Amino acid sequence: MPDAENTLSFADYVVVALYLTGTILLGLWIGRRTKTGEDFFLGGRRLPWWAIGFSLVATDIGGTDIIGVGGAAHRFGIAVANFEWIGCVPAMIVGAFVFIPFFYRTGVYTVPEFLERRYNANVRTVMAVCWLLFMACNLGLMLVASARMMSGLFGWHEWTCIIATAVLVGFYTCVGGLAAVVYTDMIQCVVMIAGCLAILFLGIVKVGGISELRSRLDAIPATAEQTPAETEDDVGNISAVEGVDARREATSLILPVDTPSPFPWPGIFFGLALILSPAYWIGNQAIVQRSLGARSEFEAKASYVWGALLKNLIPFIVAVPGLIAIVLLPDLDNSDMAIPRLVGMLFPTGLRGLFVAAFLAALMSSIDSYLNSAATIVTHDLYRRFVNPDVSPQKTLVIGRSVTSVLVLWAVAFAFLLTQMAEDSGLYTIFQTLMAFFQGPAFAILLIGVFWRGATGYAAFAGLLCGIATSITLYALNQPAIYEALGWQPLFRIADPFLYFSVWAFVVTAIVLTVVSLFGPKEDIDRSRYVFRTAFGGGAAK
Amino acid sequence: MTILHRFGETLRQALGTIPLEFVRVLFVASLVLLLIWILRLPRERVVPENGTGRWDENLKLGASLAIGIQILVYLIM
Repeated sequence: MPDAENTLSFADYVVVALYLTGTILLGLWIGRRTKTGEDFFLGGRRLPWWAIGFSLVATDIGGTDIIGVGGAAHRFGIAVANFEWIGCVPAMIVGAFVFIPFFYRTGVYTVPEFLERRYNANVRTVMAVCWLLFMACNLGLMLVASARMMSGLFGWHEWTCIIATAVLVGFYTCVGGLAAVVYTDMIQCVVMIAGCLAILFLGIVKVGGISELRSRLDAIPATAEQTPAETEDDVGNISAVEGVDARREATSLILPVDTPSPFPWPGIFFGLALILSPAYWIGNQAIVQRSLGARSEFEAKASYVWGALLKNLIPFIVAVPGLIAIVLLPDLDNSDMAIPRLVGMLFPTGLRGLFVAAFLAALMSSIDSYLNSAATIVTHDLYRRFVNPDVSPQKTLVIGRSVTSVLVLWAVAFAFLLTQMAEDSGLYTIFQTLMAFFQGPAFAILLIGVFWRGATGYAAFAGLLCGIATSITLYALNQPAIYEALGWQPLFRIADPFLYFSVWAFVVTAIVLTVVSLFGPKEDIDRSRYVFRTAFGGGAAK
Repeated sequence: MTILHRFGETLRQALGTIPLEFVRVLFVASLVLLLIWILRLPRERVVPENGTGRWDENLKLGASLAIGIQILVYLIM
């Protein structure tokens, strides 16, 4: 049943239709210039820094984030903003001046391609498959998240939402490739920021101002009720765990080790800021790819700096509304509905269309990027690498478009599978957990390989496999069905300890890589052109 | 209790003894170090190859601003 507060008027539909029409037309117009594989996958290396910067932010903020980050802020407090602040900005700045210019000079299309040049084909293949699996699953997740939200809010049929989104995004991504993705992302980023700013502004007005919001959050009892969590859903909920300083948890970025939320400071600092964040901004194909399409090395750097500046704004517009919901919706029992319910409460008829457009913008800007990047990986790291290395630029374009179409079909099929599953965990947490399996190991081999000439391909491959196995083992040992069968306690005390998985997987990968490099078989091939000191000291690593 | 549990518990207890005020210093100090690194970057890495030398072509400005905002955020919240 649709929420009665969220019935869309004709004016709302007009706003949504205008946004969708503008996006599709822009994608088609850009698509006219797409003639070769390089145009399709790297925008012909003609993309300006400002468009890439917007696109970086739009890609990172998906529809799941607009609901999920606000919902997590409602459930756990402002600590979730760490994912947008210390979990993004420092890594983007380091990426801008160290890694991105390095990748740009090598002229690669994908991060796995760089890893083959630095290590060997095995490492490239494992990483390509990991990224492909992650992106393909994520496409389905994003479609389902959006469909559930639109269905809950407006009573639209879930399947209509999934198919309509997939067809629209698939269409302009197929036609225009990365250039269409980047330019539509730019518009989508502006629409998304406008819609979320409207929630923030109207929410603060409704509460009675920023100081009133602060004082009402401070009025949350300093110590929550002494009632232990009774249901699985209560685990990790700050208001349901015995003895937790709920006031501090709601308004502080830095949470103690024993917080019941998934965001204790060691996880945020060691897991997020030092590992997952750089792994994402430096090693995620969907992110890095657009900067490889920049007009110059300087513009590639500038795009990351511009993106980092924009990123500072994001928590204010996606996380703070979750805090507003704590105040305005004290009886809300499903945090994932915090933002949709706020929209229903705050937005007058006619303005809700702006939020729907913002949500669609966030969703589409992420789906198009993952579609294009997944197609790049299939085409370059699998097809061109193993099937037909001499494929022509025109044929590459055909293959890229065909793969994109297949991925759209896959995303719809996977979304169907997901809709048949029970929704027993926050969507945001599922997304983070998927990445945590291989992001730590991937970052370890990238980081060590770029800075240490002695790292070998055998060692990187062994380290990568051991690291991924570590993540999966830790995840499995933390599942109730497994640790209860073994008669154990869970390995981690906090809910959803995905940040810790990445830390330990990184550590295991780094140790294996180092030990095998030092004591394992040596390699005859000189790969020093792909080591930072040699490459920057001795010219471009072509 | 397995050896993994004992190791994890020891680590958890050790990290739990660190006061949150010190943790905040750790967060802010990391960002300050990053800011210092940005300010010390050589000119050729932060300006375009054939730039005009205008102040707004220097990426240090934007990068410093981005990290400066982060420092403020982690000092306040």
